[in-house]
Amino acid sequence: MKIFITGGTGYLGHSLAMKLVEQGNIIHLLLRNPQSVFAPRHPNILVFKGDINDRSLIERAIAGCNQVYHTAAAAKLWAKHPDEMFSINVDGTSNVLEAARDAGVSRLVFTSTCGVMGPCIREPLTENDPRITGFSIDYELSKKMAEDLVVQYAQKGLHALVVSPPKIYGPGKVSQKHNANAVINGFLKNRIAFIPAPGSYRTCFAFIDDVVNGHLLAMEKGKAGEKYILGGVNISYQEFFALIRKISGNRGYIIQLPKNCVRGWAVLQMLNYCLTGKAPLFSGKAINRFFSNYCFSSEKAVKELGYQVTPVEDALKQTIHYLNEPCYA
Amino acid sequence: MLEKSYTLLTGASEGLGKALALECAKRGMNLLLVALPQSGLGNLAGFIRKNFPVAVLAFEMDLSDPGSCQQLFEEVNSKGICLQMLINNAGIGGTVLFGESGTEYYEKQIKLNVLATTILTRLFLGNLERNSPSYILNVGSMASFFFLPKKQVYGATKSYIHYFSKSLRKEVRRNGIQVCVLCPGGVNTNLSVTLLNRTGSWLSKQAVLDPEQVAEIAINGLLKGRPVIIPGMINNLFMLLDKLLPEFIKTRITSYGMNQLRPEHHFLELLKKGAAPPVSVGRVA
Repeated sequence: MKIFITGGTGYLGHSLAMKLVEQGNIIHLLLRNPQSVFAPRHPNILVFKGDINDRSLIERAIAGCNQVYHTAAAAKLWAKHPDEMFSINVDGTSNVLEAARDAGVSRLVFTSTCGVMGPCIREPLTENDPRITGFSIDYELSKKMAEDLVVQYAQKGLHALVVSPPKIYGPGKVSQKHNANAVINGFLKNRIAFIPAPGSYRTCFAFIDDVVNGHLLAMEKGKAGEKYILGGVNISYQEFFALIRKISGNRGYIIQLPKNCVRGWAVLQMLNYCLTGKAPLFSGKAINRFFSNYCFSSEKAVKELGYQVTPVEDALKQTIHYLNEPCYA
Repeated sequence: MLEKSYTLLTGASEGLGKALALECAKRGMNLLLVALPQSGLGNLAGFIRKNFPVAVLAFEMDLSDPGSCQQLFEEVNSKGICLQMLINNAGIGGTVLFGESGTEYYEKQIKLNVLATTILTRLFLGNLERNSPSYILNVGSMASFFFLPKKQVYGATKSYIHYFSKSLRKEVRRNGIQVCVLCPGGVNTNLSVTLLNRTGSWLSKQAVLDPEQVAEIAINGLLKGRPVIIPGMINNLFMLLDKLLPEFIKTRITSYGMNQLRPEHHFLELLKKGAAPPVSVGRVA
């Protein structure tokens, strides 16, 4: 089967493309930079070089494909030009949806993020729970708008649906600098991890293999216009890193940073940006995001799709093994 | 707060209303939520019950419909509910040239913003008096202090709320009822308002608050018995400047500020593609 995938250099897009090509499919892959070290390579991966907003390119790439996985996004907690992020995440999605509809593809899975649902209070959030905070982060807002577009196209007859992973970790090269893997790797190599204080804030970590399988299951069994959380384990930062320490035998330090320290860090990053032009990892607006619980329930995906969550110990073992290999810088 | 008393909150399903509902639940207050049908009120009520040890009742109705306030009053009475707090939050915002909207829009806006607040306050006054000390929070707007183009009717309805609240406060205080008017500036309420807030000038963007921030400040101020609450440091700075600057400069500034908001901005064009439900392009400011 021919399958079109966007976002091939992303951690998820890369893993998804490799999995599908190994299953004997032919992949049409959209890449801005085919030379990237993060680009998946295989004889059955046909690369279409260019931008998500290049409509004619998308049309050519999608022609003859049965299925579409739209994983491409600008995922940043801070953007110099928010318009660019909206352009990639919202216009880009609109472009892909329109081309998919015109080409008559049978199914489309859109990769969103749990961030759209926001923080939780006590119980893990489900797909139907209301968002309890405003959209102060452009990334989350743009992904929410993209989700709404998918639902709208589904109402008009395209078999399109949304899957929402939380933080993803696991084996595999990650292009993003602040991904969970990078933090785990930093802890293994530098023996230090900074977590929000108190360390009891819980967040949801999903294993890459689970999320990739979840995408395939959603493509196969998901209902049009629906949203499925592809989560993992809801765990406190303290417990998560303590577990890594236990499994790896590493005696690294887990440092709890109070909110004011992180505020100061954000200010310093902005100063550094003004002086040197180095983009900050996050702005002051994103700080509340670290100091909240982000727990999600995968119950719907488990029930309706047959989604499975790998036990966190197993998943961490595989991740740590991969990160400790000499080829991983 | 009395054990079995309730807080009645209108316009509870989205934006500031939702944030106020959560803030009250956080403080252990039982809730009686009112919102439009099909606005997700059931999900919110279920979410609050799941996460907080409070009782939640939900009523779906359009408060701009004639007789709906009376109907709500009778339902509350028939259930024997004691009210200790009334939050008149339901309202319709809007940033539009006067000639660009039809008469039905303004009629609905006045009915909801002015009439529903007045009638609900009158109907539940006795109930609140019986359960004193009790509280009334009316949601106004910073627009009631400035004369803004594109906000003619909206600002006027909020000026009414401002006058009504401060005046009523003087009457009912001795009966143990605190009346307070909340006057927020830009708030990231629904998607279209959140997007419009992104298009303003740098300073006005800094002044924008998230609904959960406003809700916390509002309930704190209400319980402390403040007459007027203006949330946010920059908004308070604006209010100070308002007292200091001469009229002609203020006129310049407000016109400039309003022109900076660009409903034709690319973000809002995206809404037309269906990237968000088509709510009226307005901001509660």
